[in-house]
Amino acid sequence: MRYFLFPRFWMYITQHFKPHLRDSHTSVTKQCAVFHLSFSSNKRDCISKAMSTDCRLKNPENPVKSKQMKNHESLCLPLLDQFRDGSSNKIWWRVFALLMIATVATRFYKLDQPDHVCWDEAHFGKYANFYINRTFFFDVHPPLGKMLIGLFGYLDGYNGSFHFDKPGDKFEDHQYMGMRIGCAVMGALLVPLSFLTVWEMTFSLPASTLSGLLILLDHGMLTLNRFILLDPPMLFFISASVYTMVKFHNQRHRPFSLPWWLWLSSMGVMLSCSVAVKFVGIFVVIFVGFRTIADLWEILGDISRPVTYTVKHFMARALCLIVIPTLLYMGIFYIHLAVLNNSGPGDGFYSSAFQVGLKGNYLHDGSTPREVAYGAILTLKNSVTSGAYLHSHDHLYPEEIGGGQQQITTYAHKDENNQWHIKRHNKMPPSWNSTKPVDFVRHGDLLRLEHFVTGRNLHAHRVLAPITIKQFQVTGYGLDGVGDTNDIWRVEIEDGEQNQVLETMVHRFRLIHYNLGCALTCTKKKLPAWGFEQDEVTCNPNKRDPNAIWNIEENIFPRRKTCFNFYLKMAWLIDFISFSVPNVSFRSYEKNFFQRFIESHVVLINGNSALKPKEGEATSKPWMWPINLRGQFFSGGKLQVYLLGNPIIWWGNLVFMVFYIILWVSVGVREKRGVVMTPREILLQNRALSACGWLWLGWLLHYLPFWGMTRVLYFHHYFPALLFSSMMTGILLDYAMESIPLSLPQKMFNSTYISILSGALVILFYSFYLFSPLVYGLVRYADSNSTMHHLHWLSTWEF
Amino acid sequence: MKEPTHRRCVFFNSSLGEKMVDTEVKNRKVNRSKGKNEKNKEIPNPAVDPRDEGDGESTPEALPEELAEETVAKKASPSKSEKKKRSGGKAGAATAGTALSDLPTLAVTCHFNLLPMLLFGVALATRFYALDQPNSIVFDELHYGRYAGLYQKQTFFFDSHPPLGKQLLALAGYLGGFQGDFKFDKIGSSYNASVPVFAMRSVPALTGSLLIPLVYMIMLQLNYSQWTAALAGFLFLFDNALLTQSHYMLMEPILLFFAMSGVLCVLKFRALERSGNAQAHSYSLRWWGWLLSGAIFLTCALCVKYVGVYSYLLGLALVGHDFWEKVLGNLSLSKKQVFGHACARFFAFFMVPLMVYVGVFYIHLSTLVNAGPHDSAMSSAFQASLEGGLSSIVRGQPLEVVHGSQVTLRHAHGSPCWLHSHAANYPVKYADKRGSSHQQQVTCYVAKDINNWWIIKRPNRTDLAVAAPLDRISHGEEVQLVHGITGRNLNSHNVAAPASPTKQEVSCYVDHNVSMPAQDVWRVEITNREEIGDVWHALESMVRLIHVNTSVALAFSGRLLPEWGHNQHEIVGDVMVNQPNTIFNVEEHRYTRNEDEKDRQLELMTTDFIPLEPVVMGFWEKFFELQIRMLFISNENVQNHMYTSSPWEWLVLTRGIAYWVSPESNAQIHLLGNIFVWYSATVALGVYCSLLIFYLLRQRRQCYDIHEEAWNQFRTTGEVLLVGYVFHFLPYFFVDHTLFLHHYLPALAFKLLLNAALVEHLYYLTRLVFAKQFFNWMCILIVLTWMSGILMVFNKFLPLSYGLGPMNASQILDLKLRETWDFIVHKP
Repeated sequence: MRYFLFPRFWMYITQHFKPHLRDSHTSVTKQCAVFHLSFSSNKRDCISKAMSTDCRLKNPENPVKSKQMKNHESLCLPLLDQFRDGSSNKIWWRVFALLMIATVATRFYKLDQPDHVCWDEAHFGKYANFYINRTFFFDVHPPLGKMLIGLFGYLDGYNGSFHFDKPGDKFEDHQYMGMRIGCAVMGALLVPLSFLTVWEMTFSLPASTLSGLLILLDHGMLTLNRFILLDPPMLFFISASVYTMVKFHNQRHRPFSLPWWLWLSSMGVMLSCSVAVKFVGIFVVIFVGFRTIADLWEILGDISRPVTYTVKHFMARALCLIVIPTLLYMGIFYIHLAVLNNSGPGDGFYSSAFQVGLKGNYLHDGSTPREVAYGAILTLKNSVTSGAYLHSHDHLYPEEIGGGQQQITTYAHKDENNQWHIKRHNKMPPSWNSTKPVDFVRHGDLLRLEHFVTGRNLHAHRVLAPITIKQFQVTGYGLDGVGDTNDIWRVEIEDGEQNQVLETMVHRFRLIHYNLGCALTCTKKKLPAWGFEQDEVTCNPNKRDPNAIWNIEENIFPRRKTCFNFYLKMAWLIDFISFSVPNVSFRSYEKNFFQRFIESHVVLINGNSALKPKEGEATSKPWMWPINLRGQFFSGGKLQVYLLGNPIIWWGNLVFMVFYIILWVSVGVREKRGVVMTPREILLQNRALSACGWLWLGWLLHYLPFWGMTRVLYFHHYFPALLFSSMMTGILLDYAMESIPLSLPQKMFNSTYISILSGALVILFYSFYLFSPLVYGLVRYADSNSTMHHLHWLSTWEF
Repeated sequence: MKEPTHRRCVFFNSSLGEKMVDTEVKNRKVNRSKGKNEKNKEIPNPAVDPRDEGDGESTPEALPEELAEETVAKKASPSKSEKKKRSGGKAGAATAGTALSDLPTLAVTCHFNLLPMLLFGVALATRFYALDQPNSIVFDELHYGRYAGLYQKQTFFFDSHPPLGKQLLALAGYLGGFQGDFKFDKIGSSYNASVPVFAMRSVPALTGSLLIPLVYMIMLQLNYSQWTAALAGFLFLFDNALLTQSHYMLMEPILLFFAMSGVLCVLKFRALERSGNAQAHSYSLRWWGWLLSGAIFLTCALCVKYVGVYSYLLGLALVGHDFWEKVLGNLSLSKKQVFGHACARFFAFFMVPLMVYVGVFYIHLSTLVNAGPHDSAMSSAFQASLEGGLSSIVRGQPLEVVHGSQVTLRHAHGSPCWLHSHAANYPVKYADKRGSSHQQQVTCYVAKDINNWWIIKRPNRTDLAVAAPLDRISHGEEVQLVHGITGRNLNSHNVAAPASPTKQEVSCYVDHNVSMPAQDVWRVEITNREEIGDVWHALESMVRLIHVNTSVALAFSGRLLPEWGHNQHEIVGDVMVNQPNTIFNVEEHRYTRNEDEKDRQLELMTTDFIPLEPVVMGFWEKFFELQIRMLFISNENVQNHMYTSSPWEWLVLTRGIAYWVSPESNAQIHLLGNIFVWYSATVALGVYCSLLIFYLLRQRRQCYDIHEEAWNQFRTTGEVLLVGYVFHFLPYFFVDHTLFLHHYLPALAFKLLLNAALVEHLYYLTRLVFAKQFFNWMCILIVLTWMSGILMVFNKFLPLSYGLGPMNASQILDLKLRETWDFIVHKP
């Protein structure tokens, strides 16, 4: 049956997917020899025979004999031994299949419930809409995850019509299942991936099974992976990176072979994808980086080979782990920017030049004079991320806040109150039908800006700003453009040279107040109701503030038409250019892909760090996560879904992490003190310690950095770290099961093993059963006698 | 495939590399077997080409002499020969014996090292020069001076840094006759005669000067030559940033002094551990002395500023590493002995620091007994234990809250505020078009106000006066809260709160505006009744008020109300009962005596309390509360400061900090490192790291380019100095504070030492590679040129360190070597 369809493919799969048959063959036989030695000397008959059975099992040429042996040793529980040994193909595939069935069952059961928008689905569903409708948006994460969600929806025939306004909205007859299924599939793959990762690390079937179960039976993993969120793809790519990494590591005995290249390059691809879903993917890149350095260090230490051999290895890794991922990452962004070519809600976050490339944005089709001349009507945009337009309106600052002069704010929307008339500081500009030569604005010029609608000048004085009281207030002052010396500003183009003409959009500049020497700045703080909640504008003594940089977006210089008339009337003799400014299309400012790529990143990073917790808001702190202190509501109302880890697994992980440290130290001390250990102990320890060491490092790398982050943090940020700690728990549990019986009498050997294993399994399954209503939706009862009351093990769990 | 022995090591064209490879194993064994006493002699390494004969000198020159000297000194040699002055800048002065050789000699042999003395002398001169100038507040003297003053007045203050440095300043001030009367109002205002400026500034100046001989000794301890040690001292001496920082009442020099002393002691301890007869030294007086003093000094550094913890960790890592290698790995020691060593180190590095730390705080808390400006950062009970402040108000107030108690309810966590209401209603419609109950507002107000008074009342009683027997309120009982001035009851109902629409509104119930029925009964839950008991106590009981009808808790939401609520904090009913924001405690408390409402209001407005007995709070309670507040609730985040900088910028000295500017001229003090020193140290860091990586890679390939001696020295340097640098620098990338240049100084100290160490190593490499004497002289010449460059730059920026002399604008602009240095030019 097995060869029924694709015999060759199947052979490949069995050989490469479960690789010990080839790779580790030599090492396994060596281990067997060690087993023989240790046990025959200990005269543990049963065990040594069991071990010899194992060894024969590994020699496929002698299957009959091993079968006979098994029949003899019924006391030694051959099935269990097979399971422990993991060498039999049959049992390996059976266990794997069972795990997969359970995965599918848990992940897809009641996937359509709750049939309303849950938690952040409101965001990511919306982003999928944007991809499907090809409108440009802004989000703090790189695009791959959202692209995938969009793709899932698209494949399912979802047309982007549902609004995803807020959590709790009913989907009704919109096609949301495609996106849910897509995410659930990616999330479900975590179970086999962890199983295989641990298998590749230890070649121990019990350890792999336990690790897989720990991922499978964790409610947090389950809940998080059933909804339209970024976490399923991110977790998938992270664990795929780790899997490909260990898989590649196990190819080390046949370098530069085809599988070696395949696994290496797929590791690069997975890494690149992890980063392209969320920036936290960078931690797994660092993790893999450490592993790669360790591998290269090993290779370098082999002095039987020339240095060039190491260099060859290094180059191969540089190609597959740096060059290919970088290209792929840029490719993803290329698709992102190419797909989203319509103007949308994200435009304002990007610079004027960026917006030129978006269809439907007025900058896309408009045209404007390139140079700025006195007399022009301008709009000024703050050049930082999501900078808004300099704005004023016919309202005064309140009496108690300095002077009652006209308010100056920044305002994100386009409005005629954003228009400013630019003048020299000492004379009015010529009227628009004048014939005088055009007078350009140059670097270092002194000028006034008159608000076009109200006729007041942009003004600053020694009065404290309304909110940022360390800076000066900026007001509109004067009457019809007549003011005082506090209206004078000096324009300083960034990296400008003397006499350089100020250009629309291209140049970024500062406006320095002539008298106070401070720079016009948008502080990005909201004014209260009297300022219509627009952003505060101040004059900042710190001229280096990045918020003090502006650029010109609109430049209206209406002389052209008049001049044209004039030109018709008069003669050809007068040079056209000298008294008018030609229009150019905005298109000429359009950024190329690389500029857009870089700007996207600047915007993303700024956006990420700007996600600060609000004053007094209860935020999730990293120390709360590993102890499973507080969950996260996914869905309220009638059908509650609450993101919470399986407390048994989470607390167990903590216990085993401490256990690992103790083990590590005690092994270190024993080695240092020259304590002689039996070969079996050494074998077990090496297997557990080396694998767990890497997993521990992975856990640290995915957890510790959050302590230093200032942005707002959520409970679900812990889940990548949980992947590592769960795998580690599986390995250590296996180690404990193997090594605890060693200190007990021989008779209790198998029974201890079985009781630990079955105890662990029972607790895991029971706890899963106990808390499973949290995942599949629990009906909220008003009275406290509800069935869920006994689950409140911690008073901080809010379900 | 090549055999390893046939490979050629191509780097360093000397035959050393090759030959060492050829005979590598043998040689290494030979080298290792040599005792320490042979260490400084010419290495009789058969691998060394005769051409390299002179290279043995490249290992520290001065050390053998010094060792020899030590042995001479120890033997108290009866030889009559007077020691001659030694070459190499050392003076051995010996007093004489007699002419008769058979008589016992009375001899005192002493020797001292001239170089560190010289450096120390120059350090004192630079650090103490014009110490009381400028006679006005410079930068953070504003804080530290003020704290020193508060110590004189024994007034409590709250600062998020531990107190040792401030205590030293205060002590100096005390000895100088400071009474604490000066008001530190703003940077730049002049001191009057009551402030002993010189005495107070001499603390950092002295510690800053002592730093120089300290680093000299550290370098010697790391097996570097006297000249390298002197170079390290030189770098410290002529760095403008260290000078500026040591010249005013600032913490960094004190911190650095303790940290470097600690590191030196730990290194001395290591030397004992690693010496040939480590066994003999174990538990000797010197052994204990270096171990304990190392731990104590490092803890002192921690007690000056919390960043000192990194120095402590460095010390701990060094001692731990040696324990692992030398004690645990020493199989000649029995288990018991290993355990004993572990205990000794545990005691020294955990118990002793704990004692020192607690001791410093004991002094702090037992000195500061008066109430002061920062009281409100602490809990009510803490404040009540201080003389004067809250204690004078709450002293003698009744303890048990009863029916008829008049109380103020303080929000117990985070920033202080009191439950408040006033005669204004919630607006009918909010800005987001939601409606409200239009009942009287309830807020949390950050100031003391008569509108903070509430009267506790049983729901079923109508009278309010307290009479015997007292009707005590206990955990779980239901009460109403009557607002003292307006006489309305605290009420909550199912209306969305003004600023947090997901929470429930809390109001004062108003009869005539009935949109809702009264729901004004609250259940009292005392959270800490294990310690306090079931009866509601003023100050001590932490109370939750649970609304009986809807089971929400009275909570502080953290949001501010808009203008109609006078920008006070919002109070809501929160479903999430179990959170710190729902906890209140009674702060001020008295019993109602009058039944008449008018009289009662009058009483609320006028009465004062009669103190009876003070509240006592134990040291440990105070200590732990202070620790928690210091470590977790530090909110000193100076946003938008003009002179902030990021860790990357420190490497290249992008920005300084303006400390002070003279009102008359452009004379100013600006914290700025000696750019020459800083840049070369940064380069040295890079060179050191690349050399380290290079050596490691080469050794991995079994190529040993340098002598084992040199490698050991190089490695130890890395263990101490590079690790020290990384410990002190890296954490800044992960903190959320506003950072300034002076945060870099501890890391800089290690970097400068590394720089000096690298110079010697490069010198060694030169000698290894080039046989000719000429190149050695070139090296020395380059170093001398570099040093004179440092001196020149130091001299150029000296005015900015001392803030002396009138300076005009062009002089200031002349110093502006980098565009990003923002000096202040406010006069022509």
